[in-house]
Amino acid sequence: MNIEEYISSGILETYAMGELAGQELADTETNLKQYPELRSELVRIEDTLEAMMMQLAVSPPAAVKAKVLVAIANKGREVKMDAPVVMLWKYAAAASIVIALGATYMAYDYHGRWKDSVLALNELIGKNQQIADDYNRVNHRLDQVENDLRVIDNPAFTKVVMKGTPNAPQAMASVYWNEQTKEVFLSIQNLRELSRDQQYQLWAIIDGKPVDAGVFDTGLAGLLKMKAISKGATTFAVTIEPRGGKDAPSLETMQVAGVISKG
Amino acid sequence: MIAGLRNRDVTVFEYVYDHYAGALYGVVLRVVRNEEVAQEVLQDALLKIWDKIDTYDPAKGRLFTWMLNLTRNLAIDRTRSREMSQGKKTDDIDRFVHSIENQQRYEQEVDTIGLKEILQHLPDDQRFVLEHLYLKGYTQSELSQEFNIPLGTVKTRARMALIELRTRLNVK
Repeated sequence: MNIEEYISSGILETYAMGELAGQELADTETNLKQYPELRSELVRIEDTLEAMMMQLAVSPPAAVKAKVLVAIANKGREVKMDAPVVMLWKYAAAASIVIALGATYMAYDYHGRWKDSVLALNELIGKNQQIADDYNRVNHRLDQVENDLRVIDNPAFTKVVMKGTPNAPQAMASVYWNEQTKEVFLSIQNLRELSRDQQYQLWAIIDGKPVDAGVFDTGLAGLLKMKAISKGATTFAVTIEPRGGKDAPSLETMQVAGVISKG
Repeated sequence: MIAGLRNRDVTVFEYVYDHYAGALYGVVLRVVRNEEVAQEVLQDALLKIWDKIDTYDPAKGRLFTWMLNLTRNLAIDRTRSREMSQGKKTDDIDRFVHSIENQQRYEQEVDTIGLKEILQHLPDDQRFVLEHLYLKGYTQSELSQEFNIPLGTVKTRARMALIELRTRLNVK
């Protein structure tokens, strides 16, 4: 027999698909036993088929597996009925296996769902916490803005714009001062960042003398309440001082200053 | 594995299921084209594998091939009984339209599955034979009769296509 011709006829592919019958099938089986080359070619064909079908695999729903396993357990019951007494016990045993299998599958299934639920719940709790935090932050900010607005809107407050000195021409800050209540609020428009051991200090000039109005850092949003300044202030100014401030200003570090316009 | 199946070992059967049920389901799905029916056929096939494992002879071929052919035959039987009951085979025009619809759906499926890249390297005549035999569930003689291709040609084209796939799928 010419092995190569035999192989190239495609008969082994037909055999692998289970489409041979009768004498042709018998002959092929004999040949496969006789010639190892045919055998190894068949293995290659089968490997190719398997690889192709694996590539094209589609996962069946999980319920199929459960159904098949339960059906198999049921089969055990049908097959193993011998004597009537034994049968009853086997029936009971088989039934309990079915129930156990079903319960196991359900337990497994519910366990999975429960785990998913716990995960989802934790995620929701986390998100909820985050939203609550955000809400509190926004609410707090809104309170601040409302308070700021009450100051800015109040005609009893005088706005003093402090412009940059030659030290810092771009710098700018403002003071809202209520001469009656002595309240002072500061807002920063533009002041440069300072090193950690420095702070800005606000001064009011009363009768030509600087009076401390408190220290502050940059990066504040809205108005910052400063120390009370009594009547008679004519100018506000900001200097850079060591952290904590000083009793007397270092005038050479003055960043901004603004004269109070009366009326 | 075969010994385990013969001993009706459920854990071995589960292993076989986990490993091969997807491949078998893919085969059934492409032949019957209906998920519900395909699931029924797959269940029948798996139960038949469980029942008939004693008739499988490792000397005659691999376990997967045996399972594949058993499953494929069940799927083909099911489409035939369905087509008969729907009278599809008696009306040529209906059948023609039906097959065109199937063709389009099939193209989509192949697209989603990603076999197209593998198949498109095949010459048209080989691809045609491969698709009909291995994916659509035609037998060689049906293909030969229905499309007027000599049976010998069907066989050699199937062989050439599989050889081409062999390299593409890295089968040694």
